Amino acid sequence: MGSIVAAARSGRLPHVGELAPAAGGSAHPSPDRTVDGMTAIDVKDLTKVYAQVRAVDRLTFSVRPGRVTGFLGPNGAGKSTTMRLVLGLDRPTSGTATIGGRPFTRLDEPLRQVGALLDAEAPHGSRTARAHLLALAASNRVPDRRVDEVLEQTGIASVASRRVKTFSLGMRQRLGIAAALLGDPQVLLLDEPSNGLDPEGIIWIRELMRGLAAENRTVLVSSHLMGETASFADHLIVLGKGRLLADTPTKDFIASRVKPRVRVRTTEPARLREVLLRHGHSPVESDEGRMLIDGVAIDTIGPLAAGEGIVLLELAAEEATLEQAYLDLTSGATEFSAPTPQEA
Amino acid sequence: MSTAAVLRSEWIKIRTLRGAVWSLLAGFVLTVGFAVATNAAIGDSEADNADFDALHSVFIGLNLGQIAAIAFGTTAMSSEYQGGAIRASLTAVPNRSLFYAAKLTNVAGPALALGLVTTLVSFLGGSAFMGDAAPNLGDGNALRAVVGGAVYLALMALFAAGLTALLRSGVAVLSILIPFILVVSMVLGEASGSLADYLPDRAGQQVLYADPPGDLSPPAGLAVTALWAGAATLAGWWSLRRRDA
Repeated sequence: MGSIVAAARSGRLPHVGELAPAAGGSAHPSPDRTVDGMTAIDVKDLTKVYAQVRAVDRLTFSVRPGRVTGFLGPNGAGKSTTMRLVLGLDRPTSGTATIGGRPFTRLDEPLRQVGALLDAEAPHGSRTARAHLLALAASNRVPDRRVDEVLEQTGIASVASRRVKTFSLGMRQRLGIAAALLGDPQVLLLDEPSNGLDPEGIIWIRELMRGLAAENRTVLVSSHLMGETASFADHLIVLGKGRLLADTPTKDFIASRVKPRVRVRTTEPARLREVLLRHGHSPVESDEGRMLIDGVAIDTIGPLAAGEGIVLLELAAEEATLEQAYLDLTSGATEFSAPTPQEA
Repeated sequence: MSTAAVLRSEWIKIRTLRGAVWSLLAGFVLTVGFAVATNAAIGDSEADNADFDALHSVFIGLNLGQIAAIAFGTTAMSSEYQGGAIRASLTAVPNRSLFYAAKLTNVAGPALALGLVTTLVSFLGGSAFMGDAAPNLGDGNALRAVVGGAVYLALMALFAAGLTALLRSGVAVLSILIPFILVVSMVLGEASGSLADYLPDRAGQQVLYADPPGDLSPPAGLAVTALWAGAATLAGWWSLRRRDA
């Protein structure tokens, strides 16, 4: 299944850089590409204890193909540790982690099945980007031509023969993503992939992940930013202090935890207030003549005001609510938290 | 996993690692340069001295060459312990023993190959100034020293690479080994016929003499150095297999 086909199916325009892999992107299909569930990531009772700290604590979840799964939690929640355990880099204290039913370390030529971005500092600074990828490709008998394809796809082809030490964090991040894509894998684990990317890069990585999921791949993406993750993830797995706090579709998470709130400003506050109360809403006065209305969406308030002929100067959904729901969920589970500053 | 593919991958890593390539080239230049300069200065003036070992004199530069070999082995391995390189490597090759064996092969191979060129050119360059006292390559001792010297350099590179995998730091290994080679071993080495003969560098260097000064014969000396290198690489293997990456 080529990138362009999937891109068309998911209704997005392919990037110029994404046209290249379409020619050879499906050169190494995994044998079990189309079998749903075969390439899921399964974590069962996974526990990792470092010097009496339970970094990961009896964690059980599955990551399914065909959707982007956001892996959320505050710093120190155990996201990176879980990824290292799944990749066989760290040994679990107890429990298991498998990919397509097998432990990662038992996969043959794993780059062709699982791509991982763990650390933008991984390539040695004195190597060129191309040399770094060529060495990785060689170990798994991935043809050298794929190196040029992923360099194109990640937009760093023009700097491929520069040494990595001259790269910005964003360029290193793109190189790490290029390495993850090298074997055209069915499963991707990306640890904070948008770290260091500029706004354009963030949009690019978001579309890339959506496209990979649309090709029925398994995509697990960690982040500590709820708002950003909700913008691309179909499903959320939330950790706190190494424990599972939520494992739910993003839609459901928002519906169940985010109470919508609308902010309005009008030329006739008294009349709007009266209309709102009459319709069962409970407006609260805010600063500078604004009103906040809980539990209601802008598409209710807008028409209502229009129907009454009330002029609105401002009508907005309060944006912090999703982040707030996430903070509420993880507040008991933050490893490092500063005391709330006292109001002066 | 294909062993040949992993070997090729590690070979690409070695030849694209500037520090490693420079270590090898610097080792060649310093060793040969020192051998030529020293023997050009001495010429055949020492030929009548009963203590003068003409064979060892042409390999005088290996005192520097061995440091380059150690730097090479250390750099090749420590590059995996900078940033998250080892994690990227092990997600490509999860079989840690295979990864480690391929890495060591690519340390020993280039060190041995360039070591042979280095000892041979040192021999030819150094002995060119000795006139009648010059050792002859057809002589068994001389050939043994040329080949044995290269083996010695490869073993020192492996010794350093193994220690680096154990300590997971190139800086730590270099700051232990270089003072050790330059100071401790040279000072202790004056007291021949002691335990100092069994130090990795003293033992292996027996092969460079026509008339070895220590207790060990040249083959036995190389075997002792090989034991040190073997112990270090086994310790490194144990560390890599057992610890979280």
